[in-house]
Amino acid sequence: MRDVFTEIWESVRRNKLRTSLTGFAVSWGIFMLIVLLGAGNGLQNSFFKGGDRFASNTMMFGGGWTSKPYDGLREGRRIRLDEKDILLTGSDAFSDNVDNVIATVGVNGTASYGKKSLSVYIEGNYPERASMEKIEILHGRYINDKDIKDRRKVVVLPQSAAEGLLPDNAPLEDIIGKHIRVGNFSWLVVGVNKTDRMRGNEQIAAPFTTVKEIYNKGEDVDDVTFSFHGLDTEKANEEFETKLRAAINLRHRAAPDDNRALWIWNRFTQNLQMSTVGSILNVALWIIGLFTLLGGIVGVSNIMLITVKERTHEFGIRKAIGARPWDITKLILAESVTITAVFGYIGMFLGMLACQILDKTVGQAKVAVMDEQIAMLVNPTVGLDVAIEATLVLIIAGSLAGLFPARKASKVRPIEALRAE
Amino acid sequence: MLIELKDVNKTYNNGQPLHVLKGINLSIDKGEFVSIMGASGSGKSTLLNILGILDNYDTGEYYIDGRLIKGLTEKQAAEYRNRLIGFIFQSFNLIGFKTAVENVELPLFYQGVSRHKRHELAMQYLDRLGLADWAGHYPNEMSGGQKQRVAIARALITGPKILLADEPTGALDSKTSEEVMQLLSRLNREEGVTIIVVTHESGVANCTDKIVHIKDGIIGRIEDNREHNASAFGTATIMK
Repeated sequence: MRDVFTEIWESVRRNKLRTSLTGFAVSWGIFMLIVLLGAGNGLQNSFFKGGDRFASNTMMFGGGWTSKPYDGLREGRRIRLDEKDILLTGSDAFSDNVDNVIATVGVNGTASYGKKSLSVYIEGNYPERASMEKIEILHGRYINDKDIKDRRKVVVLPQSAAEGLLPDNAPLEDIIGKHIRVGNFSWLVVGVNKTDRMRGNEQIAAPFTTVKEIYNKGEDVDDVTFSFHGLDTEKANEEFETKLRAAINLRHRAAPDDNRALWIWNRFTQNLQMSTVGSILNVALWIIGLFTLLGGIVGVSNIMLITVKERTHEFGIRKAIGARPWDITKLILAESVTITAVFGYIGMFLGMLACQILDKTVGQAKVAVMDEQIAMLVNPTVGLDVAIEATLVLIIAGSLAGLFPARKASKVRPIEALRAE
Repeated sequence: MLIELKDVNKTYNNGQPLHVLKGINLSIDKGEFVSIMGASGSGKSTLLNILGILDNYDTGEYYIDGRLIKGLTEKQAAEYRNRLIGFIFQSFNLIGFKTAVENVELPLFYQGVSRHKRHELAMQYLDRLGLADWAGHYPNEMSGGQKQRVAIARALITGPKILLADEPTGALDSKTSEEVMQLLSRLNREEGVTIIVVTHESGVANCTDKIVHIKDGIIGRIEDNREHNASAFGTATIMK
């Protein structure tokens, strides 16, 4: 190995300018590839930031308005879900796929603490929601089973609501263990969670059973959420949704195929679609990057051809004293791969550096979309996987660049090579 | 017999076919010091290329040490050249960007000999040829005679069966030429190396023990020259 590198170094040393000019093209190609992929990742990360707020294997459904007459009833009827829908979803009919089923029920109200108040939506929830929606608890805890069982009057506030109720500049955890008023009742604050900006108003969580009882909700529920398993393709999900819709619709005397009577929000297929878009973007960026790199590769191939031409006599000598064709091929291929790899790594390093700079500058910039600050590029960098893939690309590219010149060199017959000057 | 050529024919087909070797029959024994003499165009270079497995022949048979050298792949040919034959060229053919010792090492590199061992061996050979002090020098820092001695060291390092010299003194002045020929004959005498010299200079041929005259692709006279008195220009010097 050391001998091979000595040979390459001897050759490169004699052609510094030529080698570095061509090397620059390779560096540029890889630099562009890395920066493009980094920026693409940043863009995707900002897209997916919304998507990974939920566990990807959950589905949610709620009542809508019928759009078809059915069973003697007119269209335009409001569908209200109730607790039997929870039981139906959790029944044997769907038990092949459905795991946990939970529901919400809530009302609007005004929360007050000390001198401050704000309008809120108090939503009855089950403990399972914390994991299904990846609710991030900042202080205290979420609703637990005992809260449900004992119908405790406890609430979990989003950070924004806690800030709105606390005096200015008071630490968040001050509100834990305090009582706030919502409507005519006093609620104990047990936790503060990270605010979900995608939600409309301040949504505070309370035990499902408590809300149901205090506000006289009877059997009504607003929406049903469940986790599922075994639905791995878009097709399987569609079939499942059709079956579920038919079952729920029929319970409420709506047409089984009435899409508006029941809205279903499937986070799994949504993520699937998003990641398809993501991978198309990725492929497009790879193609652009590789074409940029191609220019550099052609350059390397070109200088290797010149090298072979210049060194024909030397190869003749080598062959006369016993170099096999493969020895000559190896020499050229190794040189080509080394030039490509060394300059490629310089480009890769600079590209990663550029990604870091991008992260520190553009990555911090936010754009206001619907009252919300959204970062255009989130962590626009490339991972180890891309570094490894790029390394492979470089080795393959270097080999391809050297292949033709190397074959040419190995095929020259020794007497002709010796005659060449 | 170390070398045996039986009815070897070679035709070049560049446009007009040129029949260069017209049935060469030649035997050379181990330890002989032979010169092949002929005018330019006589076919002596072609013969040398065939002897050195650098070129193919069309018909006939060529044996080295009982091995038929025919229809070899490039790889086999390279291995035979490496192990059986040492080349000495008129223009030395040293690799310019390698030092003397690196040039001498090269044939061993292609045998896969370890770095350390081939360096040691190369130094030994350079020392024997009186060039130990020049080991680290590049060819362009050396005189013609020194370069040719480096080339001889390179040719000898694999312990080849045959040393093929193509006009070994062609690029040297008469004094250096004489030294080189004396070196070759000493190698032949003291170490029993089989040497074949191709030349058109009678003075060079006279240093050898046997002179094979080739003319128009056919071997003419084979002269026994153990007395070294064949030269028309005198017996003691190489005339330029």
